[in-house]
Amino acid sequence: MVALTWLLWLMPLLPLLGFLLNLFVIRQERAAGLLASAMVVASFVVALVAAVGLAGLPEEGRRIMSVGWAWISAGTFQVPFGLMFDPLTAVMALLVTGVGALIHIYSIGYMRGDPRVVRYFAYLNLFITMMLFLVMGNNLLVVFLGWEGVGLCSFLLIGFWFERKVAADAAVKAFVVNRIGDAAFILAMLAVFANFGTLNFYPVELGGVTQPGFLERVPEILGLTFGPSWQPILVVTGITFLLLIGAAGKSAQFPLFVWLPDAMAGPTPVSALIHAATMVTAGVYMMARTEALFVASQATQGWVMWVGALTALLAGTAALAQWDIKRVLAYSTISQLGFMVAACGMGAYGAAIFHLLTHGLFKALLFLAAGSVIHGTNDTQDMRRMGGLRKAMPTTFLTYMVGALALAGVVPLAGFWSKDEILAHALAFGNWPQLILLFLTSLLTAFYMGRQVALVFYGEQRDPHYHAHESGRVMTVPLIVLAVGTIFGGLLNLPAFFPGQPLAHWLTDWLRPVLAEEPGSFNFWLAALATLGAVGMGYLGWRIYTRSAARVKVGAKDPAYRFTGDIWDGMEEAWYVDAAYSRFVVQPIRGLASFLARVFDPQGIDGLVMGVARLVGVAGAGVRTLQSGYVRTYALIFTLGALLVLGFMLVFTR
Amino acid sequence: MVPTSYYILLSAALFILGVLGVLLRRNAIVVFMSVELMLNAANLALVAFARQRLSVDGQVLVFFVITVAAAEVAVGLALLVAIFRTKQTADVDEVSTLRG
Repeated sequence: MVALTWLLWLMPLLPLLGFLLNLFVIRQERAAGLLASAMVVASFVVALVAAVGLAGLPEEGRRIMSVGWAWISAGTFQVPFGLMFDPLTAVMALLVTGVGALIHIYSIGYMRGDPRVVRYFAYLNLFITMMLFLVMGNNLLVVFLGWEGVGLCSFLLIGFWFERKVAADAAVKAFVVNRIGDAAFILAMLAVFANFGTLNFYPVELGGVTQPGFLERVPEILGLTFGPSWQPILVVTGITFLLLIGAAGKSAQFPLFVWLPDAMAGPTPVSALIHAATMVTAGVYMMARTEALFVASQATQGWVMWVGALTALLAGTAALAQWDIKRVLAYSTISQLGFMVAACGMGAYGAAIFHLLTHGLFKALLFLAAGSVIHGTNDTQDMRRMGGLRKAMPTTFLTYMVGALALAGVVPLAGFWSKDEILAHALAFGNWPQLILLFLTSLLTAFYMGRQVALVFYGEQRDPHYHAHESGRVMTVPLIVLAVGTIFGGLLNLPAFFPGQPLAHWLTDWLRPVLAEEPGSFNFWLAALATLGAVGMGYLGWRIYTRSAARVKVGAKDPAYRFTGDIWDGMEEAWYVDAAYSRFVVQPIRGLASFLARVFDPQGIDGLVMGVARLVGVAGAGVRTLQSGYVRTYALIFTLGALLVLGFMLVFTR
Repeated sequence: MVPTSYYILLSAALFILGVLGVLLRRNAIVVFMSVELMLNAANLALVAFARQRLSVDGQVLVFFVITVAAAEVAVGLALLVAIFRTKQTADVDEVSTLRG
């Protein structure tokens, strides 16, 4: 127990040490990559040990708290800086450090020769640190520290190649859009403190005083009878709605998802680590962590469900019509995050975390494989200029296929089990509209993955300007490891087919101390339908694009355009959400700024300043004429003044 | 005994004479003399009041005035000489270069 509390601190501090060393000491590319990877691998091992230690505890006691010091102590506002480790954190920490370690290793190969590679690894390590603070924080403020920290790392890494204007703009966009969610998060924290008097999730002991945790006080506040009877519900709804906005910012949900596709301007391993596997899941994690609040508000749950389902469909359609290999995956990520958020909204938090885990594996795999493709084709990202790469890069092709099939939801890969669990929950809870939306999305998912595989790996190479080659071992080994994880990841939470089956809904059981909920029931017909649909749509997508591969070229319409017509344009532009922002937010603000710069500043501010100066000038010119140089004039004025004073004295002061 | 008001009237007449001299004459020497006239008109008033009130305060003040006037004349005449040397004139209106 004592040893475990120490391990807890080791987990985020190892990558932090790596960050500091890479920032200040190390100058060599090779040393930087090895150090950064070693630190994260060590952190992963520590997480593994801690998780095993946690499993050894009785189920009720599986929560290790370690308070470092009183971070903020101002009257009743007490915030300890502490970490905690419970089953949910264990899952997240293992995902972050495990996938993170693989991506660090992969980056050694991918970033070779980059002039700022040392700084790159420093940022990656800082990201891991911050992500661990996010998932391990024992109160909302520590979570917020990690939340902002990963936002900062995201900004730095999206804009890592800041010489490209696209990358710099995308970094700023990500930061600004995230800021909206962050502001809501801060408001939610204030509301939590105002209503519960603490920011701790669970009770914490510091200096012999036990501070309460707000998650356990939710039933308490619901029982309160201050004010009208609906007031507690209103409070909880307000807090959770603000948290939802925060989650929508970080987890790229409608309407705040616009930053994620642009974030693909960063290096591909960064897209895999931050913008697919870990950081974007922070919102889902936070909602799962504050489950007690969310389930107390039916209204917010409805919103969460709709936001998730709509985002899933919207982003799924957008992914269909992209040409950039990474943008397809980016929209796919948004879509899958929509699945998770929708699952949270239904109350299936365990299913959401399961999907988060499997998605983290296979989306990291897909991104890294896409990175391998980009690397092997001399930085080509446009799928219209690829084709036929399966011969040149067999390992990448095979691992990509595993990832694509998992994403499409083909049995028995990880993605099938987790997605099916969400769909089964939707069916079991009777959320029909969401079920239909999500089912449609899963069909679309299969279609666009079929399309992508066909465009990238099948047919003939359409652009002869590069010589495609397989990536080195340092990049393919992480791919293989992730592919193995993707194949067997589903075993973590198999539905119970027969009594006494080993590993039946193991993850749900593991998470039970945190997320008290029933495992989802397996619906054979739904699963069969989803799988058949996925295989069918995937094949259809593959077939259409292999058949008409000859017509795919830059400037030409997509072969599927004739089926959809102009709807395709809408999908390609992600239903003009970006355009709407630009029209209704960016342009008015630009207009205001331009007005201030061109009219208000020169005429208002400058007018005021210049006016004062001119007034003084005019007054000076007027007074100047008084000084004529004639002494006698002065004497006359002097005399008149004296007479005036004299007259005044005679008349008034007698 | 001559009433005080007579002295005061004389003093006023002398003072107005001095004022007019300063304002109307252009010769710097005459202006100077007019200033002296004003000072002495004031002196006369002081002495007259001192006598009426049987107090020496006014007479003491007159000594001060005479002293200051002497100093003023010394400085003033030196200035005049300097001006005459540069401008070849004693006309105060000619010395008007110091203007805004």
